[in-house]
Order: sequence, then C-alpha cells, then structure tokens
Amino acid sequence: MKVLLEAERLCRNFGGLKAVSDVSFQVVEGEIFGLIGPNGAGKTTLFNLMTGLTPVSSGALHYRGEKVTGLPPHRIAEKGIGRTFQNIRLFRGLNALENIRISQHVITRSGLLSGILGTPASRAEENEVDERARELLKLVGLADRAMEMAGNFSYGDQRRLEIGRALALKPQVLLLDEPAAGMNSAEKYSLTEFIRTIREQFKLTVLLIEHHVPLVMNLCDRIAVLNFGELIAIGEPAVVRKDPAVIEAYLGAE
Amino acid sequence: MEGFLQNYGFLLVTLVQQSLLAYSLYFPLMAGQLSLASPGFYALGGYIAAIMATVEYFAPWRNALGWCIFPLEWLIAGIISGFLALLVGIPALRLRGIYLALATIAFVEILRVICLNLEITGGAIGIFGIPQLFESRWSYILTFGPLLILTLFFSYRLDRSRVGRAFKAIREDELAADAMGINPTRYKVLAFVIGAVLAGVVGAMSAPFLNTWNARQGTFDASIAYLAYVLIGGSRSMWGPLLGGALLAALPEILRPLKDARLIINGLVLVFASIYLPQGIAGAIGRIRTITARKPGSVRSPK
Amino acid sequence: MDAVQFLQNFLNGISIGSVYAIFALGYTLVFSILGIINFAHGAVFTLGAYLTYSMSVGQFGIGGLLAGCQIPFQFSFPLSLLFGAIISGVAGVLIERLAFRPLRSRGADPLLALVSSLGVALVTVNIIQYLVGSEIYSFPGDVYGDIKPAFMFHISGRIVVVRTVQVIIFAVSMLILTLLGYLINFTRIGKALQAVAENAATASLLGINVDRFILYTFFLSGFLGGMAGSLVGTSFGIAGPYFGVTYGLKGLAVMVLGGLGSIPGAVLGGMVIGLAEAFVPTEYNAYKEAVAFAFLFAVLLIRPQGLLGRSQIQKV
Repeated sequence: MKVLLEAERLCRNFGGLKAVSDVSFQVVEGEIFGLIGPNGAGKTTLFNLMTGLTPVSSGALHYRGEKVTGLPPHRIAEKGIGRTFQNIRLFRGLNALENIRISQHVITRSGLLSGILGTPASRAEENEVDERARELLKLVGLADRAMEMAGNFSYGDQRRLEIGRALALKPQVLLLDEPAAGMNSAEKYSLTEFIRTIREQFKLTVLLIEHHVPLVMNLCDRIAVLNFGELIAIGEPAVVRKDPAVIEAYLGAE
Repeated sequence: MEGFLQNYGFLLVTLVQQSLLAYSLYFPLMAGQLSLASPGFYALGGYIAAIMATVEYFAPWRNALGWCIFPLEWLIAGIISGFLALLVGIPALRLRGIYLALATIAFVEILRVICLNLEITGGAIGIFGIPQLFESRWSYILTFGPLLILTLFFSYRLDRSRVGRAFKAIREDELAADAMGINPTRYKVLAFVIGAVLAGVVGAMSAPFLNTWNARQGTFDASIAYLAYVLIGGSRSMWGPLLGGALLAALPEILRPLKDARLIINGLVLVFASIYLPQGIAGAIGRIRTITARKPGSVRSPK
Repeated sequence: MDAVQFLQNFLNGISIGSVYAIFALGYTLVFSILGIINFAHGAVFTLGAYLTYSMSVGQFGIGGLLAGCQIPFQFSFPLSLLFGAIISGVAGVLIERLAFRPLRSRGADPLLALVSSLGVALVTVNIIQYLVGSEIYSFPGDVYGDIKPAFMFHISGRIVVVRTVQVIIFAVSMLILTLLGYLINFTRIGKALQAVAENAATASLLGINVDRFILYTFFLSGFLGGMAGSLVGTSFGIAGPYFGVTYGLKGLAVMVLGGLGSIPGAVLGGMVIGLAEAFVPTEYNAYKEAVAFAFLFAVLLIRPQGLLGRSQIQKV
C-alpha cells in the first residue's frame, strides 16, 4: 500500500501555545482517514498546516514522496490536495455554478489574452469547465440550484456545495473539515454513503475531521486522535476506541 | 446639432473620460483590491504624452510620424504605466484592505510631489500648449469612445473568463481562493496592472484634450471621485463604472444653476448612495429585476 | 549642520510633530473603536481652525456668505481654542450620526463607510467655503495678547527662534496627551473605551452602552481634530477650506507609522514625521511634502502594523 501523505513531527506554536505538537503519521492511498479529538485539540490547525494556510513552526510534510512543507496553498492545490473548511468558506456572493467553475482553475490553462479574445481553445475549455461544474452539482444534488447565490443556501446544502467545489480540482486527496456538522442523522448517513461513493468514483484518499464519533467509527479505515496538539492514538477504529488515553481525553474533557 | 455639440461636446467627452477612469479602479476592485492609485498613472500618462508632444528631443519623431505620434504616446504611456504598476504593485499588493488603499494614496502623493518639482514636467506650472489632435473638443470622442467600447468589451469577456473568475474568487475570499489553486498575488498584481495601464492611456489621451497638464491632475480628490463613480454605479457590474461615472461627472453640470451648492450636493449624494445603495445603481437595478423575476411558488431557503 | 541648526530643526520638528500627533490621535481613536478610517477628520480639522479664528477675531472673514459679519462676542485666544475644539467635537458626533451609524446598523461593507465619510467631508468643507469664502486667513499678530510672538535665544553668536505659537502648541499637546492618557488608563470611561475597542460585542454584553461610547469617542476625536486645526491655523495661517485635506492625508501617514489604533503610536509617529520634515535639507525643501508619504509607503511595506501596533493574526 502506497504512502501518499506523510507528516513528520509537525509543530505549530502561537506564542507560548503549542497548537500542534510533534505530530507524525502516514496516510495510505485510498484510505479514509479520520482525525478526532476534543475541541481545541488542534485538528483544524493540522489541516491548515497540511494545506499551507498556516506556516509550520517545525517539522515536514511529504506528498507522494515530495516535500511540500512551506508551499503556499495554491501550490498545494495544484499538487492535488483539495479541502473544505470548518467554517464553510464558499464564495458567498457568487452562484453555485460559479463556485464550482472557479475551483477548476488548476486544471485549466486559459490566460488573460486568450480568455478575452475568446480563442477556440479557450472557448472549448469554458464549455468543459461549465459541463464539469454541472456534473458535480448534479453529483451533490444541487443541479436545480445552479444559479442561486451560494450565500443563500441552507447550512447542509452549503456543505455539500463546498465538497462539490473541492472535487472540481480533481484532487487525489480530499481534506474534509467537519463535513457533518449541523446535519441530522439521515443527512449524516447519506453523507457517509456519499464519501464512500466518491472515494470509489474519483479514486480519492480522504482525510476527515469529525466530532460525531459513531460516524467516524463507521466510515473510517483508520483514525488518529489528537489532544492538546499531540497525537495520542492512531489505528483502526475498533482498537482506538478502547485506548485508555483516548477514553480519558474524551471523558476528561467533559 | 451644431449648437448642441458646441455646448455639450466637451461635457460628453468628459463623461466618457471619467467613466474610463472609473474602470481603472473597477478592475483592481474586481479582485477585491481597493486601489486609489489611478490618478498617479493618469498623471503619468498625461505627462508622457505632453512631453512627447512638446519637448525638443522628440521633434524628429513628431516630424517623422505626423499624427501617428499620438497613438505612439498612448502605447508608451500604457507600457510605462504597466511597468511602474508592476514595480509598485508587487510589494504593495501583499497588503490587505485599507493598508493597500493607504499605500496607493502614498504612491500618488509621492508622484505628485515629484512631478511638481522636476524640470521636465514643468514644475508647478506644468506643460501647456500641448498640440491638439483634433480641431474641436467634440472630436475627441473618436479616441475616448473606442477606448470605452474596448473597455466594455474587455469587462464583458473578463467576467466570463478564467482570469475574471480568479479575480472574483479573490474578492470574495482570498484564502479560500488560494486553497482552490488561485495564486492571489499574481492575480491581484494583474488586476492592478490592468487598471494602471488603462489610467495611463486615458491620461495620454487627455493631455491634448485638455491642452495643459500639471500636477493637479493627479491628486487624492480625484481618486475619491473615481471610487465614488464605481461604488455608486455598482462595483459588481460591468456597467457600474459607466453609470456612476456618467452620472456623477454630469452632476456638477446639471447642478450648475445651484452654483456653490453643487459640491455640497455632490457630497450628499455620496453619503446617501453609500447608505441606501450599497450595491450601487447597477446592483439596485439587478435586485429589482431579481425580485420581479422570481417564480411563484419557489421556496426560499432560510438564511 | 551644526549644533545650533540642529537645535532649531529639532524645535521646529517637535512643534509640528505635536500637532501631527494630536491630529492623528483623533484618527486613531476612531479606528481603534470602529476599525474604520474617518475621512471626515480633515473636515473637523478645518472647522476647528475657522471657528477659533472667528471667535478670537470677533468676525467672520472676508469672503463667502458671512463676509464681514460681526460676531456678538469675542474671546481670548485660549478660550477660542477651547470652544472651537468643543464645537468640533460636537461636529464629530454629528458626523458619526450622519455618516457612520446608518451604515453600522446595516452591517455594511467598511468601504462604504469610507465613501460616506468622504461625502461628509466634502459637504462640510464646501459649507465652510460657502459661508466664509476660500481666501487665506492669517491670525492677527496680537492674538496672544501680551505675549511676544517669538522668543529669540542667542547661542554662540547665532539666533535660535522659538515662536510663541510653537511653545503653545507643544504645551497644549503635552497637556492633551497627559489628560488623554489619564482618561484612558485611569478612569472608568477610559476603561470602557478600551473594552469597546477590544471587542464591541463582548463589551455590550458586559453592560457597556457601546453606542454611547462610540459617541464619546467621536466627540473626543472631533475635539482633538479641531484643536489640531486651530493650532495649525495660528501657526501657519489657514490656506483655504481644503487645507485640512493635505493634513488629513498626512495624519493617515502618522497614524499608520505609529500603528493603526495605537495611541502612543500616534504620538510617536507624529514626532517622527515632524522631525523628519524639519530635518530635510533646504535644497530639498520642495520634497518636504513627500516625506510623510515616503514614510507611509515604507512602513506599509516593511512593517504594516507600524511602530507600536500589534500585528494582525488572521484566523482561518
């Protein structure tokens, strides 16, 4: 099994606070890898380190064997890592279709001149972009609302749109930050199915931050547990759930 | 017809010219960058044209090229503005929001003081007696007009193109755009350069139109005027700068009977428009259209 | 440049620096509370200058609607200064009401607040122009009453000139700064202002009437602006209703240099730029105006948070 993503002793300090402390793990191609831990454990910070949004204080990140630490977010996206955000960062003033067209930036090439002049190549590209966007909208079940402003969607729909947007990059790795937040049980169930489907369909590797423990146990191949910025357990769900350190972290946090 | 053109020709050309300057602010704003640098590039472009048209050094060029010297002036003004924009923009555009605006304000002031003091720019007096391209003021619509049409076409196409989408993404959420693979600095600089080149070319076209050129062409008040054009016309629509520019530049004329009160009214327009028309006129028109076009029975999702 | 020249420059620099500091304080107070730049600040600067002039001279000036109108009262200079500043403070409150509050209640884009404040500035300045014309006003030489207009010190055979107004400016600035420092740090009102500046939502939850404190801030800001304008007016004359605009821009430069929202920063920034301008060699006098903006540009590129500002942490 090929190691796709490797974190090597990642650290992130804010002043005296160690938000992420000496975290190392490997993610294998094709797996669904869960990241759990109490609030404030550093999960989102870890995602931000991996996608270049927050600079690393020390440590390294490797993708497909290549060092990607310190690269800006757009370069990491180019390499094939896509993500969603805990706070949903859609382009709210633009419609759903436009949101998904935008994220195809890295897989298209039209420059300023060809775009303005409307060369045959750029027109063909525009059509492709449009079509792909519509397909993805259909995939996430929002096809009939293509022209609506993203900011007007309900919370759950926004999350789905954000996933669709991330998929448009044609990523090999997808980082989902609390995709199930605010969903009811039925929605959570269909989300679980959806993630499995897209993993198959798009040959993805998925990293997932989630609070709803049953969902994570059900969906993920392996889980890592973070507490106070440190990795306290990693392994298959059944094993991790019995780990005393994990139990203490969750009970202690009550 | 003749009388109309005589009286209003100058005004109409001015409206077009002011709208073009509004566009020079619109493009950076499309990428979310509040740049108040346009007057600087406008002044620069005008000086370039004025110098090329009057200074001895360029006399052989003028003799050889005849009227073609004018398009050449525009070209050179555009190129130099573009370069200066790159130089200034690359460091400055790392700044966000108000900081960028302040940096551009500083840039304009520094440029203005330099121009006030150099010999080649004629110091405080500036350059006068710039040769005319046309006999009558109205004829300048033949230069500004096509430029406006080109700019409108450019905006239309940009809105539907990959680069335009990158701009809009950055404007909406720079971090998310970055995470979606868009290099913010690169596109912000591009937007800035486009605006600068436009302002420079308009400046070069304006120098013969206005006949004299001095450092008062490039002041902070001017950038405020352009900002008002764009915000009030509508910063999100390609027609916004034209609407805003035409209306607000015409306002002093329309209000001329009110004499001294007109600038007061102008100020009041700015205040009321920013409070009651946050999306500008174009935005308000757009909203009216959306409201009237809503299908019966459609369900609005709760915010 | 020798020691005497240095001393002269230093004194000039400190003097103008204190004015910049007072002016920038008004800007920075509003920024720290609302996070926006009040472009109408230059207008209250102008207003203050004209008011102080009118009150100390006893009539309006030579142009405009009120040309030659006598005012039924005439105050000594210190009183005119005070009243001018107070009225400017009230103007500041009016500006908040007209230009900023409606936008705040709509949750509008801060950019629009900028445009709105510019609109207000335009309106104010033009009303002033309409009322008193656009001529240059100079305060009469005897405006300080019995005090000499300048003091001359003889040092090693040369003369160092200290104008009375410079002493007044410096004294007033130091007084204001001390009072302001005391107000902000040692009174309840000051602490409430700090709380609102830190986080308006939390402050309001703690029972602080945020709106009222915003009013106080704008009053204070207007007061300071008006005072700065009056001091500049007595020092250099009033060069027309638009003279507040250039100072307005310079005030921005001072504020950014010191750090947006930082009160000690405004003072430090003011002094730095005042001194820098004073030490510009005479052959480059023409470029003096650009000094402040060169500083502004440099600061923005090198250290946008200014000398004493806190760097912004962006939360993702």
